[in-house]
Formats: sequence, C-alpha cells, structure tokens
Amino acid sequence: MSFFDALNVSASGLTATRTEMDVTSENLANAQSTNNGTPYKPQAVVLSTIGSGDSFQQELSSALSGTPASANGAGSDAGGVQVSQIVSENVPNQLVYNPTSPNANAKGYVEEPDIQPVTEMTNLISESDSYQADVTAMDTTKQMYTSTLQLLQA
Amino acid sequence: MSLLDNTQLSLESAMSGSMYRQTLLSNDLANADTPGFQPQDVNFQQELSNAVASGQSPTSVQFSESTTSQVTSSDGNGVDTNVVDADIAENGLLYQTLTQVAAARNSILQSAINASG
Repeated sequence: MSFFDALNVSASGLTATRTEMDVTSENLANAQSTNNGTPYKPQAVVLSTIGSGDSFQQELSSALSGTPASANGAGSDAGGVQVSQIVSENVPNQLVYNPTSPNANAKGYVEEPDIQPVTEMTNLISESDSYQADVTAMDTTKQMYTSTLQLLQA
Repeated sequence: MSLLDNTQLSLESAMSGSMYRQTLLSNDLANADTPGFQPQDVNFQQELSNAVASGQSPTSVQFSESTTSQVTSSDGNGVDTNVVDADIAENGLLYQTLTQVAAARNSILQSAINASG
C-alpha cells in the first residue's frame, strides 16, 4: 500500500461528489425542459467502491518488488469511490396546466419533468457537506505527511 | 547494540499503522454515500501491543482491517460521518505526536553523537 494512498482516496471522493453536484445542478436547471414533447428525465449518480488491488500502478509495483499487491491489510478494499454510471430515472412526468404553450395537449396540459427543487437542494446541501468532509480529511492527511518530513530536520 | 532500539521500531510501526488507518478512514468518508458500503477501521494500537507483548519485532506486524456491520441509511450504507470525522482528527493528532516523539529521540541520539570533549 503506497504512502500516498490516503490522499488519492480522498481525491476520488472529491471527484465523485463533484460529479454528483454537476448532476444535481443539471436536474435543477432542466426542471422545466419539455424538449418539444420528450421531457427531460432527472438523472442520478450510481456510486461504487474501488478495490485497492485494481490499479495498474499497484500491480506493477507489486510485480517489480516481488511482494504481494497488498502487503498491509490483504483484502482491504480501500481504493476510494467512483461513479459507476449516471442513470436516467424513469419517473412519470407531471402535468402542468398551460394551454398557451406549444407543447400543450388537447386538454391544455403540458408534460414537464417531475423534479422537486426541494429534493434537489437537499441533495446539494448533503453533497456540499460531503465535499467539505473530504477536504478536511485531505488536510489532516497533508499535515501528517508534513510532520513526517520534520523528522528529517535536525 | 543497534542504534534503533525497540521503542524506535515500535514508533515506526505505529506511524505505519496510523497511516494505514488514515487511508481506511478516508475511504470510509469518500464512500459515505455508496449503497451497501460497510466502514472499515484498524485498531493498530491493539495489534502492535499484542505483537510486542508476544515478543515479535514491532516492524513485522501486519495490520489487518476490521469491517463493522451497521446500517445508518436506507440504502444499506453503514458510515456515520460524524464518527469518522472525529476519528480522522484524532488519528491525525496521534500521528503528529508519534513523529514528534520520534524526532525528539533522534535528536537525543544526534546530540550524543555531536557531543565533544
């Protein structure tokens, strides 16, 4: 297990949270997109854990040094998080009464995406908290590395 | 007689265990939203003290993580972010304490080497 794994793991968390925030922002921005008859479907992010033995760098370094891939904690899955896919949620559209709209049906209703701004904003708050927590973890790890360097100082 | 006594080796092993714990805790935090994820931790202090008590060399300890089985959210995720946050802070301080102690012992050795007549 490399010395800088902790930083890489936190960085993967930042990337995944950033993607989640992007998707939430897109849902909010497209809350009323009718796309001329095929309304926007809200998207969701599917997260999955990265196993620690999955990276090419680790396999290479373990092959070169002759030691098993995870000498410390064999079988540990501490590789971080990744976005495995972004899926479109198949939620039914909501009908909004707007007879003057070009997309209105015979009864004057327009099909719009069923995106609740309150839900999306709550997701945004939780993703923002998550991002901050990962940044704090990175900060603590960086302080640990810095204090290690101080060992070398006379 | 070696320059590095058992205490220095234990400090080195504890630092390695603490860094490993930091990786696991960071992973728990990064996966705080992953469905079905169970948090992991390593009690490196316990493993190290067991190894030293049984006469093993401190640097030969292989730390093994333990996985909790708790559920804190409806998608099966078991991470309690408050607990993990506190553990990360505690682990960071512990690591810095270990390096300070190691540095202090090194400087004792250095002053012994540099002492003249």
